[in-house]
Amino acid sequence: MSAFQPAPDPWGFDETPVETWADILGPQYLDLALLTAFIALAVYSFKRKTVALKYLTFAAAIGYMGFAKSYLISITNIFSIVDWSWPVVKYNLAWYLFFGFTVVSTILWGRLYCGRVCAYGALTQTLDAVIPRRWRVEVPKAIEQRAAWIKFGILFGVISYYIITRDVQIYQYVEPFWMFGLFGTPLLWTLLAVLLVATVFVRNLYCRFLCPVGATLGLMSYLTVFRIKRWSECNTCRICEKACEWGAIDGPKILVTECVRCDDCERLYADPKKCPHWRIIEYNDRKLAVLPLRPV
Amino acid sequence: MKRFGVLLLLLVSAGLVTLSAQTKRIFTNPRPEAHFKTLFPNAAGVSSFGGAPLHWKVYGADPKANPAAPPASAGELRRDKPIGYIFWTTDLVPNERAYHGPIHMLVGMDTRGILQGVVVDYNSEPYGYFSIDLPEFVARLKGKSVRDPFVVGKDIQAVSRASITMNGAARALRDASRSVAKAFLSPDQVK
Repeated sequence: MSAFQPAPDPWGFDETPVETWADILGPQYLDLALLTAFIALAVYSFKRKTVALKYLTFAAAIGYMGFAKSYLISITNIFSIVDWSWPVVKYNLAWYLFFGFTVVSTILWGRLYCGRVCAYGALTQTLDAVIPRRWRVEVPKAIEQRAAWIKFGILFGVISYYIITRDVQIYQYVEPFWMFGLFGTPLLWTLLAVLLVATVFVRNLYCRFLCPVGATLGLMSYLTVFRIKRWSECNTCRICEKACEWGAIDGPKILVTECVRCDDCERLYADPKKCPHWRIIEYNDRKLAVLPLRPV
Repeated sequence: MKRFGVLLLLLVSAGLVTLSAQTKRIFTNPRPEAHFKTLFPNAAGVSSFGGAPLHWKVYGADPKANPAAPPASAGELRRDKPIGYIFWTTDLVPNERAYHGPIHMLVGMDTRGILQGVVVDYNSEPYGYFSIDLPEFVARLKGKSVRDPFVVGKDIQAVSRASITMNGAARALRDASRSVAKAFLSPDQVK
């Protein structure tokens, strides 16, 4: 046996010329493991649809995905699509896992990323849970439905601006995700403070009306595979529509560009005490049970 | 029907973008001469841009020439013995990327394989402004040898939340500098 022996490298640089998988994965495995764990938690909490798991996921999203790692989908990733310019795959596996999960989950379930994975979305929903209900300003439905279009305008505007100027830094003025890196100029922090104060009164303000990433995921949500099931009673019932904090229900229709799969309505559907579909079935069952006693 | 339309739109867009990405040299700043003084303040002149790999050769002044005469007149350059090389990392490692595309770095290296300086001429990194755009970044690169590991966390200071940017820059510097060393220097020159 005479295997081909390449000439010994006279330079002897300490980098092996051919990287083994151990070399590539070594520095990345912890990142990959923790990210996989978070994704598993998010998907599990979504499947189980319990409130406790949802807030646990929010805590992990804010603490780990947000402040610790700053794993957030940003408008700069959409700029990368425009430029077709991506990080090197083999050195950035965790990033590709994160980005891939976002795309796949959006196609499967809609804006699940917004409702459960995005650290800012988690923050705004947690804020909403602790702020007294009295402070809340309910946006009239007519304004709400029109205001939802603003984020598409912002998306179109920012992408046009980027194509013309190639100024990546515009992202700082269009999204607040940089806050998790704790870096910003006094102007940016002031603008963020204004946004957060406004969010106290108009819940989920940024996500519903202003986020260009949410707008993009909303467009992709037209492909949603597993949609929220609706009953015939939904044509006239308004319980979920009133309960929805995202303005995503319009009579029998779920607006996929607005729905972030927060599951508040899905918990209502599953509740036999609340959803008319089950109450009617239960009422009919009780009626049937006494029917034989009536005279023929 | 709508679903199919959206999918088709996505695929067509992807196809168009991929088609337009031809293999050509990454366009860099066409007037980098302003940076040469930063990299080699004592140089008398540089060659024209060319060769394979693309580079400039840097020349010192001929010591036997008349010291009273103004320096850097072409006849006095020691063209047979360059004192160093200047190159774009994007020419040596065009496939290397950071977070959002390649970082255009102009590197000056002497004949001992020591980096004389680095200029970050252009990048589109969202987090560049607190990592590679800081003057501390290039200041720490001065004096590094091509034999150094160029590993973020070891001999290159890590910047929290800018890992992809820093790793991309470190890899580009390491691989580009080593390629130039292998092309123009011999292992004995580089300690």
